[in-house]
Amino acid sequence: MPAPSNRTKKRLVIIFFVVSFFVFALILRLGYLQIVKGEELKKGALEQWTKGIDIKPKRGVIYDRNGKKMAMSISSYTVWSSPADIKNSKETAKVVAEILDMDEKEIYEKITKQQRVEKIKQWITKEEAVKLRKANLPGIEIIDDNKRHYPYGNFASHIIGFTDIDNNGLYGIEKVYDKYLNGTPGKWIKTTDAKGRQLPYGGEKLYEAEDGLSVVLTLDETIQHFAEKAALESLLKNNAKNVSIIVMEPKSGDVLAMVTKPDYDPNNPREPIDEEIKAQWKDLPHQELEKRWYDMWRNFAINDAYEPGSTFKIITAAAGLEENVTTPKTRFHCGGQIKGIPGANIKCWRWYNPHGSQTFKEGAQNSCNAVFVDVGRKLGSEKMLKYVKAFGFGENTEIDLTGEQAGIVPTNPKNMKEVNLATMSYGHGIAVTPIQLVTAVSAVANGGDLMKPRLVKELIDEDGKVVQSFKSEARRKVISKETSDTLLDILESVVSEGTGKNAYVPGYRIAGKTGTAQKVIDGRYAPGKYIASFVAVAPADDPKVAVLVVVDEPGGASYYGGSTAAPTASEVVEETLKYLDVKPKYTEKEKEELAKTVEVPDVRNKNIVDAGKMLTKLGFKYNTEIPNITEDAIVIDQFPLPGTKVNEGSIVDLYFNEKGKESNEKIMPDLSGKNREEVVKILDGLNVKYNFNGNGIVVDQKPEAGIEIDENITVEVEFSDTKE
Amino acid sequence: MARKRASDFTLLISTILLVFIGIIMVFSSSWPDALHKLKDGYYFLRKQLIASFLGLITLVFFMNFNYKKLNKIALPIFIMSLLSGLLIFTPLGTEFHGAKRWVKVGESFTFMPSDIIKLGAIIYLSSLLAKKKDDIESFWKGIVPSLIIIGLSCGLIFLQRDFSTSFTLALTLLSIMFVAGTKMIYFGGLVPIGVLGVYKAISGEEFRSLRVKAFLDPFEHKLGYGWQAVQSLYALGSGGLFGLGLGKSRQKFFYIPEPYNDFIFSIIGEELGFLGSLTVIMLFLLIIWRGIKIALNIEDLFGCLLASGITALITVQTLIHLAVVTSSVPTTGIPLPLVSYGGTSLILYMGSIGILLNISRHTELDRS
Repeated sequence: MPAPSNRTKKRLVIIFFVVSFFVFALILRLGYLQIVKGEELKKGALEQWTKGIDIKPKRGVIYDRNGKKMAMSISSYTVWSSPADIKNSKETAKVVAEILDMDEKEIYEKITKQQRVEKIKQWITKEEAVKLRKANLPGIEIIDDNKRHYPYGNFASHIIGFTDIDNNGLYGIEKVYDKYLNGTPGKWIKTTDAKGRQLPYGGEKLYEAEDGLSVVLTLDETIQHFAEKAALESLLKNNAKNVSIIVMEPKSGDVLAMVTKPDYDPNNPREPIDEEIKAQWKDLPHQELEKRWYDMWRNFAINDAYEPGSTFKIITAAAGLEENVTTPKTRFHCGGQIKGIPGANIKCWRWYNPHGSQTFKEGAQNSCNAVFVDVGRKLGSEKMLKYVKAFGFGENTEIDLTGEQAGIVPTNPKNMKEVNLATMSYGHGIAVTPIQLVTAVSAVANGGDLMKPRLVKELIDEDGKVVQSFKSEARRKVISKETSDTLLDILESVVSEGTGKNAYVPGYRIAGKTGTAQKVIDGRYAPGKYIASFVAVAPADDPKVAVLVVVDEPGGASYYGGSTAAPTASEVVEETLKYLDVKPKYTEKEKEELAKTVEVPDVRNKNIVDAGKMLTKLGFKYNTEIPNITEDAIVIDQFPLPGTKVNEGSIVDLYFNEKGKESNEKIMPDLSGKNREEVVKILDGLNVKYNFNGNGIVVDQKPEAGIEIDENITVEVEFSDTKE
Repeated sequence: MARKRASDFTLLISTILLVFIGIIMVFSSSWPDALHKLKDGYYFLRKQLIASFLGLITLVFFMNFNYKKLNKIALPIFIMSLLSGLLIFTPLGTEFHGAKRWVKVGESFTFMPSDIIKLGAIIYLSSLLAKKKDDIESFWKGIVPSLIIIGLSCGLIFLQRDFSTSFTLALTLLSIMFVAGTKMIYFGGLVPIGVLGVYKAISGEEFRSLRVKAFLDPFEHKLGYGWQAVQSLYALGSGGLFGLGLGKSRQKFFYIPEPYNDFIFSIIGEELGFLGSLTVIMLFLLIIWRGIKIALNIEDLFGCLLASGITALITVQTLIHLAVVTSSVPTTGIPLPLVSYGGTSLILYMGSIGILLNISRHTELDRS
């Protein structure tokens, strides 16, 4: 048995030292990795273990000043697929296509894409979502989502604006107040294995989403409704390109209504409302289409400056009266031609039959250019421009909407020639926006304070608690109370006796001014294209509203502000004042006219054709309110009742036995979070049947909020703790 | 020297401790895989328990089996082991994860011939060199036969595309030659051959060269060949000093593929922290120390070489495993002796320890 040599033993010792060296080196390396670099490596590891799932906050509601919902979010569902997890693509596509009523091929393509996730369809109905969940297809996921809904459709759409598919505000209040409406997204952080499945350890963290705040507008849904209706009528009647109406409360600067027609439906902002235009747009290239969209979304009331014409004489008058260069009784002379202005030949609009001698007040009633040019020249460029600027022309009103224009006003009186001063005195050679004009006229009406137009009253949270309120803000004092009163008196006479007669409403003292100007396109006056406007303040003794109607390119028989815009303004003023419960005060003369009354006939139990004929014969107008009514409809009630004495030409409202399509349309309210008692109250109020399941607070409802319902449905309500 | 003495107690305890740690860690690290793929979380635990039981029997058997008898049957053992390796190329060879390294006998019994070849080659080379004690410095009589043994055994393993195992074995067998007293000049001659061989092996297979590339900057290739290295580093890093706690590894959840095998030490580092991994390394160092001590104390050359070979095998394999896990060398698949999952390997290592223990009974060792 050979024994190991010494060399062997020596070498064994060497080996032991070499191995020990390596082991020691590895221990050092291990310590370096685990302790020195530990934190850094741990961070990398944490990053791959944790997956954050975004939780979308609920977007705030946009209310009108009375709490009516103008824009809201309704629950919806979105279907996603993760192609890698899909087992049988063909079968899955078939089932999904069947449930969602989509093209099978399209779905097949989507679920076989080389993508981590692919959206199949956004905003499916609850029923579809339930069916899909039941089908239990691997790789198909249904995510709770919110859909923006505008219950009033194309109503105040230029103000409210709209959002993109991910609920980011793109336009209007939705954009300007996006950061408040949006809320803060939450995150659900969980630890997952390498395949995305949740790990059995805790370490899960939920950061709740903070829901967005709701915006309360100064807008009044009812007044907006009057304005919408009047603008649409005017648009059609005058065959105009645009009609804008702004209703402002002079004392606060609150915008009560603002409309530009034509408009769009924010529920579907990229599709025109008009079917004909829809057909025209169908084959347009995308670039051209984009241009049309922007045109459609353009809000004439703030995005476009126009030459105001005679409505601007209010500003000249205010400056003249404030600076004492004229009084209402100061006499002026109109000789048709206005002389003494170098390099220009300016005429009064009635140069062929000059106004002759007249007081300043009469000059205003006549809208005589000569009078205002005289006032302007007496003021001089410097003072005139000072007032023009003081009234806010040439600068943004800072209304809470995007794309506001500042208009065009000379920057320095030294650059103004005499002719510029003369034309500016009657509203030519400058450009203003409708919102600037109505704000300036409000300053005239409220005693001289130029207000900042207010569109948003306050921000409230989910419980209705005011989080932030925006006060009315006076920017500066422009004229004195006396000037304001004097001017309102003059403007009232314009309506009662002068060019503004068409705006006259019996019983209400309306102050107003017409305006007609030729349109300037690319720096030249465009032949045959006019902008007719009327601005009104009422009641003149205690102004509640300032209304501006601007008719862009009226294409009808008349293009004068007095005949196109004034009747529209008067309609809005009358309806608004009645709604605001301002009692008409009749003058003696009006009372006399009112005394000429007739008795309302009894048309009840007649059919619509006979009733209509009878009323027309007697000189009445009538109103049926219900569209799509048939000829056989029988009048079951009327207002005023038979025998009531009314003015000639009054309107009789008729009620029929048939229920028109829209008469019993209701919108399903959002019941979530309410208790049983509240729900009963709401549903009883809607006069619908209901089924309840469980106790506590509402967690689910069918139909969903925002859906049109009628009395024949049964509402299913599910409460938080369901006990079978 | 026929007196029977007690065997090396430190070695025995260290071994049993490591096997015990191995069972726990195999159970912990295999749980997710076993549950998801086999729907049975205890699958690997059960198999490892059975293997360690068989291993213990083997250990006790060899502890009482006079190692000198191995000297006599060294050649048959070697031939048998080589033949078992050839079985892979018969229909009995079983493929797993794209590598044909297993032999299936019957329905449920598979084993890894490379483990058997390792031991067979160690026994035979030790026996050969002990017999040729005086010719050890002769090129033809000492070096060439040794190199033939190395070539045969390593070549057979290399044919299974198991580069790292054949490298391990080559290093082990060269260690035996070194201890036996082969002239340093021959090792000097072997170095360029070895370097060339390693270079050929790496450049010959695309995945090997990609692994080397990924080794140089694992985070750059995080989603490709650097994946395992990065995941192993993440595991060690998140373990820190004290570890996440037994059973609480996150990396075993499919971040590290088959964490109970070639990356079990990463999970040890993650769950038990630096202190836990240091303990495991220390246990290995104890075994290495005792193994070398036994080789130093035995007055029989065959025993000395055999003890050296067995210790070298454990050492080389442990060092490579640790180096891979700490991303100190390119990623390769070497299980941790006595700890990693794998029946054949565990039984053979425990058997080898049994042989070592038996050798220790023939020494004048201080057996504390």
